[in-house]
Amino acid sequence: MLLRVENVHKSFGALEVLRGVELSVDKGDVVAILGPSGSGKTTLLRCVNFLERADEGILTFDGERFDLARMSKRDAARLRKKTAFVFQSYNLFLNKTALENVTEGLITGRRIPKGSAVDAARRALDKVGMLDRADHYPSQLSGGQQQRTAIARAIAAQPEIVYFDEPTSALDPELTGEVLSVMRQLAEEGMTMLVVTHELGFARTVSSQVVFMEGGVVVEAGPSRQIFEAPRQARTRAFLQTDQA
Amino acid sequence: MDSRLLDILVDSFPKILIPGLTVTLPLTAIAFSIAMVIAVAAALAQFARVPVITQICRLYIWIFRGTPLLVQLFVVFFGMPKIGITIAPFPAAVIVFSLNEGAYCAETVRAALESVPSGQLEAGLCAGLSYLQTMRRIILPQAMRTAFPPLSNSLIAMVKDTSLAANITVVEMLRATEQINARVYEPLALYIEVGLIYLLFSTVLTWLQRVGEKRLGAYENRGV
Repeated sequence: MLLRVENVHKSFGALEVLRGVELSVDKGDVVAILGPSGSGKTTLLRCVNFLERADEGILTFDGERFDLARMSKRDAARLRKKTAFVFQSYNLFLNKTALENVTEGLITGRRIPKGSAVDAARRALDKVGMLDRADHYPSQLSGGQQQRTAIARAIAAQPEIVYFDEPTSALDPELTGEVLSVMRQLAEEGMTMLVVTHELGFARTVSSQVVFMEGGVVVEAGPSRQIFEAPRQARTRAFLQTDQA
Repeated sequence: MDSRLLDILVDSFPKILIPGLTVTLPLTAIAFSIAMVIAVAAALAQFARVPVITQICRLYIWIFRGTPLLVQLFVVFFGMPKIGITIAPFPAAVIVFSLNEGAYCAETVRAALESVPSGQLEAGLCAGLSYLQTMRRIILPQAMRTAFPPLSNSLIAMVKDTSLAANITVVEMLRATEQINARVYEPLALYIEVGLIYLLFSTVLTWLQRVGEKRLGAYENRGV
């Protein structure tokens, strides 16, 4: 098992967003986290990469155990170098070109020599079909191009897992397609992915596991085939049906 | 225009311009450079909410923004000798202008830092950069782009404000003009002349600002 979180709790003031969540991801898994808005999916993902500090919870990564509520900055930084995060709003570095967006984490963050960092970045940009736009700034790229660049930035350092936080929610349907096809390709190459998404089609066809969340807890989790074809919980069934309608 | 007046203007021009080039501009350049260091440091400390230092910065900004520049000059130049600290006019002016300008510019830089979307910091951390690396490589460059026009404004204002140093015996452009006027008594012509030289300096800086903005703004798309 690559990643496991247990008993994750998180409140914002009086609002309890996560109420004891657990999930696990095996190497090579593509895990889709589904659920209605406000179910805590994004907060969970942000807690797992320490963008929010959980009030309580255990994280096990590659056999190492961490207390999410008492995570040190040093450990957080060390784990972040083994992972990558793709944001809903891309968050490309606005003052850097597409190529520099990818090399920044390699050269500055990981001390990889410039020559090999640029090679790795160009390979990553090529994989997402953005090599011809390597010298463009984010403001010169469409939303789909920005998100594909963000995915190149995520995969260039060969992370053990990539977290996706609603990667297509800010895109129109046409641009959604180009991003999803890049993600599908990554999944086929065996990249471990944990994906918060509203794209049921993607979850059904690409993910190996599905976690269905509501009200800050995991309602149901299992192989995606089983969740889509024979959900055990009435709530899961209702959610999948309304969304298909 | 009678020829006596013309002679006075021509004769005084280098006598005003030279202190401008050797006192006004160096005073501005040195004090503004120090002010920038203070401003960026104070803004970063507040942005990162460093305890104690943040409070010290607030106190400093409160004092230097809340009292007149001329009073600050008087306290340092005329007042400090009372407690045994005597500072020559030019360094006294450098100290006061640096601290005064630093306080204003700290607020400019802090506002610019806060205008950078928070996702930029998160993206830096998730890309494997440390907090300091993200600040230095991602946040600060974007903030300085935003802060550049208001900081240029402050710089231009400062060129003119250095005339206040005349009050603590620094022979900059205005005091040089006053000295000439004391001899020939042509206040209208001479003060307009020095005003025009200030205008010339400001115009050059305004032009430099435009060039600087163009270079800094390379990553900004202003639409097609």
